Amino acid sequence: MKKQDNKHEKAENKNYKLFGLSQDEYKEIGKLLKHEPDDFELGIFSAMWSEHCSYKSSKVYLQTLPSKGDKVLIGPGENAGVVDFGDGDVLVFKMESHNHPSFIEPFQGSATGVGGIMRDIFTMGARPLANLNSLRFGSHLHPKTPYYLSEVVKGVGFYGNCMGVPTVGGEVVFDECYNDNILVNAFTIGIAKQDRIFLSSKCEVENIVIYVGSATGMDGIHGATMASEEFDSKNNKKRSTVQVGDPFTEKLLLEACIEAMDRKLIVSIQDMGAAGLTSSSFEMADKSGHGMTIDLDAIPLRTSGMAPVEIMLSESQERMLLSCRGENLDALSSVFDKWGLSCVKVGEVIDEKNIKFYYKSKLYKIFDVDTVVNGPVYERPKRKPDYLKKILPIKINNYEIPKNINDIAARLIMHPNIASKRPVFTQYDYTIGTNTIVPPGFSAAVLRIKNEGNGNRLTKGFLLDINGNSKYTYLDPYIGSALAVIECARNISACGGTPVAITDCLNFASPEDPETMWQFSEAVKGIKEAAIKLKTPVISGNVSFYNETVRKEGGNAVASKIYPTPVIGMVGFIEDIDRVVTPYFKDDGDEIFLLGRLKGDLGGSLYMEYFHKDFRQKPMDIDLDYEVNLHNCLRSMINGGYIKSAVDISEGGIFTALTESSITNPDKTLGFVVEYEDKEMRLDAFLFAELEQAFVLTLNNKAKPKEFFEKASFYDIPIKMIGVVKEGVIKINSAIELKSDKIKKEYYSVIKNILSK
Amino acid sequence: MNNNRIKAGITVFPGSNCDFDVYYVLNDIFGLNTSYIWHKDKINDMRSYDFIVIPGGFSYGDYLRSGALAARGLIMESLKDYAANGGIILGICNGFQILLEAGLLAGAMLTNNSLRFECKDVYLNVLKDDTPFTCDIKKGSILRMPIAHHDGNYFAAHDIIQDFNKNDNIIFKYCDSAGEPTEDSNPNGSLLNIAGIIGENFNIMGLMPHPERSSEKLMGSEDGGYIFKSIIKYIKGK
Repeated sequence: MKKQDNKHEKAENKNYKLFGLSQDEYKEIGKLLKHEPDDFELGIFSAMWSEHCSYKSSKVYLQTLPSKGDKVLIGPGENAGVVDFGDGDVLVFKMESHNHPSFIEPFQGSATGVGGIMRDIFTMGARPLANLNSLRFGSHLHPKTPYYLSEVVKGVGFYGNCMGVPTVGGEVVFDECYNDNILVNAFTIGIAKQDRIFLSSKCEVENIVIYVGSATGMDGIHGATMASEEFDSKNNKKRSTVQVGDPFTEKLLLEACIEAMDRKLIVSIQDMGAAGLTSSSFEMADKSGHGMTIDLDAIPLRTSGMAPVEIMLSESQERMLLSCRGENLDALSSVFDKWGLSCVKVGEVIDEKNIKFYYKSKLYKIFDVDTVVNGPVYERPKRKPDYLKKILPIKINNYEIPKNINDIAARLIMHPNIASKRPVFTQYDYTIGTNTIVPPGFSAAVLRIKNEGNGNRLTKGFLLDINGNSKYTYLDPYIGSALAVIECARNISACGGTPVAITDCLNFASPEDPETMWQFSEAVKGIKEAAIKLKTPVISGNVSFYNETVRKEGGNAVASKIYPTPVIGMVGFIEDIDRVVTPYFKDDGDEIFLLGRLKGDLGGSLYMEYFHKDFRQKPMDIDLDYEVNLHNCLRSMINGGYIKSAVDISEGGIFTALTESSITNPDKTLGFVVEYEDKEMRLDAFLFAELEQAFVLTLNNKAKPKEFFEKASFYDIPIKMIGVVKEGVIKINSAIELKSDKIKKEYYSVIKNILSK
Repeated sequence: MNNNRIKAGITVFPGSNCDFDVYYVLNDIFGLNTSYIWHKDKINDMRSYDFIVIPGGFSYGDYLRSGALAARGLIMESLKDYAANGGIILGICNGFQILLEAGLLAGAMLTNNSLRFECKDVYLNVLKDDTPFTCDIKKGSILRMPIAHHDGNYFAAHDIIQDFNKNDNIIFKYCDSAGEPTEDSNPNGSLLNIAGIIGENFNIMGLMPHPERSSEKLMGSEDGGYIFKSIIKYIKGK
């Protein structure tokens, strides 16, 4: 540590490190305050200047993402993004990470992650309609993985099920890069009326500031700063920084808030998420352009003797800060009283841009809002990582075609990243709300909306999907992150939907490492390019840095870092839900078509990783224009009523796409016979290449093949019959012959076996 | 009698969360005169309701035992009077648990034998068709409906089961698609594959599966709708 600056009279407050501030930041705060900050001031600044709240390392990149579009009503910056769903309806959605808490305490960490994102949605005045999530765990062979998987899934279910919000989909991925840092990203979408969206920016001078929900306790203190630094091997000490979830209270809070909103009793509202009362009060003040008084004596507490800084930093769950007009205070109180929640006046909105804290009946501190909110913005140094020099396009001739390709294909289906996640999804209530048309486990989740009390049925619906592809992002951050966007769009298009907008969770290691920062900047570029081409603006999202753990290995400190993991959540619309197409085959004898083109590039594929133990190759470039055209072609075929089943090609290649289409039909066990001839492409490349721009289709019996083929030629997309659906057998040329029922049994048992370890 | 002359009530406890879904089916799908009954509302005479549904959810968070706190709520006295006067009560999922905790039906719910929340479609064998809840369904029919619960493992003492067998109180059993009550088709470990029971006066029924989630073709099954159709038929025939 540097020598103290003697110019300051008071001694340096060495606690700044405990608060997660750098020395430079500490000095800056001292300069702004014109005195050495005390713990209260450090607490406020450290929370607001934390990576988690301030996006100080990512802001310059995030600003480059497209955020505007025909259907976008509110983009990034509010609690969640808003898109126009027609007929005066809007959909409100966002995804957020809860990685660090979930690694420390997987059940509570994941539960409160789900609780937090739902609050973001209903804070905007929207009733949550569905949850999705992206969960990433260490290798399925790692001894702690079954524990993390089981607890995280329980936590997600515990919160969502109790709230009565269906969890309709998501992804579960295993990779050893997450052995020391699991990822839990939670997504919620809700519905509101366009003329009734609530914002934190609306509060007016002389409004009363109200605290509602649970009392404030010691849980979660420093949560935001914890999520802004890497773990070390002593992270057990951080257990007290994990919040404890109470979904019952949140359900009451949801109903009370919606009722108060319906009765126009709330002017503006802000969830107390990361950094609790600190961020909610400063954000509300900042966005409205006013200030407020906060009486710390009035805050409901769970334990006596909490210091002011602890009150301000507590991340106790299920709390909201809101403002109302004085004349509505009694009515508002009676709504919260009905739902058994406390509703307390804690301050007033004032006509100056300061927050004035009162404590023990005296003015305690005054903060200038701009000073606190406008923290540092860093353009951190970045450098292309060294490892990428060795990542080159695959030279397939260096690898032999395995002789036992039949066994390999069978084992690939049993890989936990391919096998059915049904044993996970059945722990989530996905049918509540009676809107779920396509449940989890297929391409995209599809939901309808009801036209309550109006008799006539609405035909419109929306589609949801979540995807990330960290291995490809590791091999090429630009391509990998673009692929995550593309994969979502493929799943939505394959159901007949049109992609509309996205939210993202960018999970990375420490931004202080220039190599990570380079990966981050490339990943943002990839998302940007794909989002522009697919016309899916990024309307909300979150960044989670510091997903790395320092471990001692033979006396040396080694950082275990996750692969760069951008996760995309996409929303699509469909005009007529009766037209929704599901991915699985329907009937024996149906002809199977391939729409699109095959390149057979195995670089970075699961097949290369699993069987050749070498996946470190540069993934093929994706032609975005071709992709868009392909989706338009497929959508026109679906709208024409030609398509009985459609699925894209992704992890595990066309073999996996065909096999899953055969064994995921809920009513029967099908199979297929495919004949394949291509002198230019090896059989393993045909079977297992993942980056193909193509869909596997079957046609409705009433389809008119001539018009169907005309659609393909209109879009100039190749279409080819490759085989037929056949009960009981999975057969490709003479190379592969498997029994469908046996494969099906294994496909559904893999995750169950991990869970029961 | 038009459907809109039938008055249906849906109880709402703090934490009820299937109330909207039941309301939608009764009000919008079947066109009944439907209203919510808040758990603190003082209702002097529930007899104006033709039937009452206690919907599913997590009343009071299920923090003590599923349904235990709701079963001791203010409204339960009126509900008990209603039941004693022959009022028709349908308890679904958490509603079933509340009926058990309130002593309006016999037996208890244990945690699922998987120790996990289970959400999936199940098949139910209909064992009785001469009740207000099944009079529009043929005995022996197989219905497909979703379950979504953590504590649906029905248990009752031997003498209760003996009474059940004597009085025909077991109304639904989990079964396979062919109607056999096999171990594999039992999603939670329920004694004798019991999915639903009916009280001794045949006016109170509890079941774990969700008929309100399977009352429209769009939801993949309309089988649950037959329970509501039965209630409507029974009321019209009274």
